[in-house]
Amino acid sequence: MALLPPLYQEALIFSSLLTLLSAGLTLTYLTTRVPNFSHGSFATIGAYVSLTSFRVLQLTPYYLIPLAFVLAGAVALALYKLILKPLMNRGSSIIFLMIATIAYDMILLSALNIYADYLSEGLKVTSRYFSLKVADIRIGGPTGTPMVFYSSLSSAIAVIVLLYILLTRTRFGVAMRATIENPMLAGVVGINTDLVYTVSWFMAGGLAGLAGVLISLWFIGNPDLGSIILISIFAASIVGGFNNIYGAFLGGYLVGFAEVFGQYILARNIGAWIVPYRPVIPLIIMVATLLIAPYGLAGVRWRELGRRLRR
Amino acid sequence: MALPAELTLFLTSIVAWAALYLIVSLSLNLEFGFTGIPNFGKALTVMGGAYVAGYLPGRIIVQLTGIGGGKDYIAYNAEIVREVNVFLSQNLGYSAMIFAITILVAALVGAGLGFIAAYPAIRLREEYLAMSLLAMAEVGKVIGYNYKELVGGTLGVQVPDPLASVEQGILRFTLMSLIIMAFAIIILLYLQRLIRSPLGRSLRAVRDSELAAETLGKDVVRIKMKVLVLSSILGAVGGALHAFYTGGVIAISYDRVVWTFWPWVMVLMGGMANNLGTAIGVLIFVVVRQVIIFYKDVLSPFIPFDVVWLDYLLLGGVLIAILMLRPEGVLPEKPTYPLSKGILQEIRERVRSRISSETLEE
Repeated sequence: MALLPPLYQEALIFSSLLTLLSAGLTLTYLTTRVPNFSHGSFATIGAYVSLTSFRVLQLTPYYLIPLAFVLAGAVALALYKLILKPLMNRGSSIIFLMIATIAYDMILLSALNIYADYLSEGLKVTSRYFSLKVADIRIGGPTGTPMVFYSSLSSAIAVIVLLYILLTRTRFGVAMRATIENPMLAGVVGINTDLVYTVSWFMAGGLAGLAGVLISLWFIGNPDLGSIILISIFAASIVGGFNNIYGAFLGGYLVGFAEVFGQYILARNIGAWIVPYRPVIPLIIMVATLLIAPYGLAGVRWRELGRRLRR
Repeated sequence: MALPAELTLFLTSIVAWAALYLIVSLSLNLEFGFTGIPNFGKALTVMGGAYVAGYLPGRIIVQLTGIGGGKDYIAYNAEIVREVNVFLSQNLGYSAMIFAITILVAALVGAGLGFIAAYPAIRLREEYLAMSLLAMAEVGKVIGYNYKELVGGTLGVQVPDPLASVEQGILRFTLMSLIIMAFAIIILLYLQRLIRSPLGRSLRAVRDSELAAETLGKDVVRIKMKVLVLSSILGAVGGALHAFYTGGVIAISYDRVVWTFWPWVMVLMGGMANNLGTAIGVLIFVVVRQVIIFYKDVLSPFIPFDVVWLDYLLLGGVLIAILMLRPEGVLPEKPTYPLSKGILQEIRERVRSRISSETLEE
């Protein structure tokens, strides 16, 4: 027996994973002020670590989560250290920084495709449109709830709690907040802003890698997995508020539930042909947010809004 | 002396692709280089034009002639388009008509898409705008891929050949690439005039400082809207021409790599805000890519993966290198003068002689 109706289960898994991704995206945007267009591909790295561990090393993907975290984190760090930081030091405009992240995404995409070709040609492993649902552990018998349900939900909760503790209870977290608030001033009072950026990028990449491993246990994996999910990640970060790290969690669950339930309700009322149009949902959410409340839900001054409405 | 067939095809494909990418890159240069709008959804307008070419011309001929006998246009697409091409090969007038109508409607659709893109463009900051436009292009692709009636969904559609009356093969490809090149050259000349006009100077004023442009009485919103509509028209015309050139439309080929990222590479490689630089960037890019495609079969036994990925890897690396080492491109932006060099020189001489005569009088 499954714990929850399948639809809720699906929505919770998708939203939790989206949350991990959008939290990382928001974190890097908060620190470096660049929306990272290659963030989705960091997750694809995790998915391929997962594929390799199950099909090549015959290991449950959960064992290799630390590896996925470190690998994707290192790839994200390389983007910051080798490309964005030198460009920022030259005083490049934000458009140039964004296009640099797209170029980096191209490099990652081709590297992932080359690796996928190597897996399928060299090792005879299905490396495109692969499903790893069988690799997952089922809690409570063969028809029970898949482990990925618990692991994605608990990682999302753990990440939000740990981030909260990090940002409010540790010296480094305070330094991070200061750097986000005003990097120049933080530098003047002796905070190592470069270290803050380094840690943020590594954490963002690592979380995406973790999400990637979990994604592969539930969704179909492919080298372009990350670039397809990218719109949902952006939508989640924007609706939550790109200037607030906790907004990413709110946005992740909002967009995730809207996508899964929206798709379901529309398919039931209009027809099954509407199912593939799912990417339209995050686009609408994103555009509506940008036009109505450009700073996202976390940026709305609720008290003032309430006062104005009551009048 | 006739060139060997293979070489001719190679050269015509370079001409055609250079012309197609010249149209798209010039329109991107107008948006990004001159006006500073980061259009990360360039694929959207190209796609719009191509969808028109996939949807409209075949259906017009079917309506007019009753070819296919009322069969579903999408389901029997290959069959119907073959018959349409037979019909077009005997009726030159109809060929010219559907070509002209398709280009016009593509331009209209492009204008509409530009108007839609302008809605966020005049309201959002660069990074939010870039994300919205990228998402819009992705959604356009999803719609084309799933809405079968439009361009055949996953299978795509064939596009009637307006050059069906000429001998198929080399002659057809040569003619087609020359037609596309003619479009590209006209657009290049038009844009060169545009950027020398007062509007062209306003564009750069908006790019360099919106606030300053506004205080000098420039209507920034109007200017941005104009630019987006114009450049989207150009992009859509490019898309329609691309569909006619390849003879087919399939939604997945209009992805953000091929029609957004590559034009960006070309503009940045050649030099932003410099149309001739963009042309050079296009030429370098297309020649290198066509050479890679040409030697693909030679190369492929030596590497254990699809050569396409080597291509992507290379382009990503090249773009990052450009951004880091020479962000101004091969031909950097130059100050453009409102008058031609000869006239400016004449004025300079006149002023100089007057000054010298005045000093003599004193």
